[in-house]
Amino acid sequence: MKPETDNNIAVAARNISKKFHITEDSHNTVKQRLFRMFNPPHAKIVDALKMMSFDIKRGECFGLIGRNGSGKSTLVRMLAGVYPTDTGYVQINGSTMLMNLGVGMSHELTARENIYVSGSVLGLKIKEIDLIFDKIIEFAELQEFIDVKIKFFSSGMLARLGFSIAVNAGADVMFLDEIFAVGDVKFQEKAIKVFEKSWIEQKTVVLISHNMGIIQKYCQRVAYIKNGNLEYIGDSETAIKIYLADNE
Amino acid sequence: MALNILKDFFGGTNKLERFWLLSKIEFKLRYYENILGLIWALIKPISDCLIYYIAFEFILKSGFPQYVSFLFIGLILWNFFLESATGTIQILSTKKYLYEYTNMNKIEIYLSVIGSNLIGLFFNTLMFSFYFLLIENGSTYFSWHVIFFIPIILNLIILSLGFSLILSTIYILAKDIQQIWLIVANLGFWLSPILFSPDLFNSRLRTLKYINPISSIIINARTIIIYHHLPEWKLMAWGFVYATFFLLIGIYMLNTLGAKAAEKL
Repeated sequence: MKPETDNNIAVAARNISKKFHITEDSHNTVKQRLFRMFNPPHAKIVDALKMMSFDIKRGECFGLIGRNGSGKSTLVRMLAGVYPTDTGYVQINGSTMLMNLGVGMSHELTARENIYVSGSVLGLKIKEIDLIFDKIIEFAELQEFIDVKIKFFSSGMLARLGFSIAVNAGADVMFLDEIFAVGDVKFQEKAIKVFEKSWIEQKTVVLISHNMGIIQKYCQRVAYIKNGNLEYIGDSETAIKIYLADNE
Repeated sequence: MALNILKDFFGGTNKLERFWLLSKIEFKLRYYENILGLIWALIKPISDCLIYYIAFEFILKSGFPQYVSFLFIGLILWNFFLESATGTIQILSTKKYLYEYTNMNKIEIYLSVIGSNLIGLFFNTLMFSFYFLLIENGSTYFSWHVIFFIPIILNLIILSLGFSLILSTIYILAKDIQQIWLIVANLGFWLSPILFSPDLFNSRLRTLKYINPISSIIINARTIIIYHHLPEWKLMAWGFVYATFFLLIGIYMLNTLGAKAAEKL
C-alpha cells in the first residue's frame, strides 16, 4: 500500500533493495541461449543494496556518502526512477534529473537541439526554453558552437553544456553525483556560485561526494552507505564522523 | 490507463510539445542528414513501386488495372509498419540518453518515432494523391469513403507500436533479434496482400487474410480509396482486436523487461 501523498516529501523509498546478476559471458543472443540451454553460465549474485527505507524532504539538500562500490550510484539511480527496485518501491513527486559527468544528451544532435530536448524532457515548455536558451549558452561559454553537433565537442565543452542545462532548466529533484569535478578551475568557481544561488535555496538536491567539506557545508541530512547497507541517516556531522572513523 | 495518458498529454503538461519536438528531430535525423534530404523519404516508395511495376506488369504481364495505385497504397502502409518495427529494435539502446538521467516515461520515446513516421506517411500520401488524381489512367477520384482512412491509420499505428515495443524489449535479452526479425519481416512481405491482386490473394493465401495482422489494413485501405466501397467491417474489427492484443503484450513487456533497460543495455 502506498502512503498518503505528503506535500513535504520529494522522494519516499520503502523497503527498497537491489541485486545484480552477473554472468561470466554476455550470453545475450538467441544463438548463445540455445547453445547453452543445458549448460547455462554461472551467475554471480551481488547484493548491491540491502533493504532500506527513508524519505527525502522537499527543499532539503540530502547528502550521500560511502566508499567506492558501496552502492551510492545504484541507490541514486533507483531514487531517480532510472533503475527499477527488486523489492519495495520509490515514490517520486515531480521530475528528476540525475547528473554525474554529463546529463542525457545525444551526440548526433547540435547544442541547440540538445538544449531543447533536455529542457523538454525536464518538463519545460518550448516558450520557457526560449527564455533561458541564451543564458544556457552564455553560461556554458559556447556562443560560437550553438549549431555544431556535440560529437565534435571536447569533453570540457560537453561537461559545461550539461552543467549549464542542469543549472538553468533543472528538475524538481536533482541528483548530483560528484558534479564539482566539471570543467577548469574558473568554471568550477562559477558552478559553485550558481549551485549555492539557485539550487540550495530552491530545489530538492541529493548530493553525492567524496569531499566531506562540500557535504558538511551544504547538506542538512546525510546517509552513509557501507557495503549496500544504510549504516546511518541523520545529521551531517555524525554521518561524517562515522564514515571517517570507519575508514581510518 | 489510456485515459490517464490522454489527460497527461492534453492537460497542460508539456508532453504534447515534447512529442512534436522529438518527432521532428527524429524525422530530421533520418532524412535531412542525407545529401538528398527529404527527397529520400519520397523516393523510397516511388522506387519500390517502379521495381515491382516492372516485375509484375512488364515481365509477368499481370494486366491488373490501376496496378500502380494498388501497389502504392500497399507499399506506403507496409513501409510505415516496417520502419516503425525494424527501425526501433535498438531504440532502448540508441535513445538511452533520454531515460538514463531522468524519470521520463519510455513510451514517449516510442510515440515520437511513430510521430516521425507519420510525418513520412503524410508526405507519401501526398505523393500518392498526386499520382492517383493526376497521372493514373482512367477517371480516378477520391470519394467520401476516404474518411475511413483515419481509423485504418489508427489501426496501423496501434499495430506498429505493439510490434515496436515487443521487438525492442526482446533486444534487451537477445541482440540477434534484429537478424531474426529481418527474416520474419521478409516472409511477412510476401505473405501480405501487397503485390498480389485480390483474386490471387483470395485464391492462394485466403487464410492469411485474418492471420496476417497487416492484411486487414491494406485490404481495407484499397477498398475505400480505389474501389470506393465501405470497408469490410468484420475485417476491420478483427484488425483492431489483433493490433490491440500486440499492443497490450508490448506494454506489458516494456513495463517488465523494458524497466531494466538502463541497467542491462
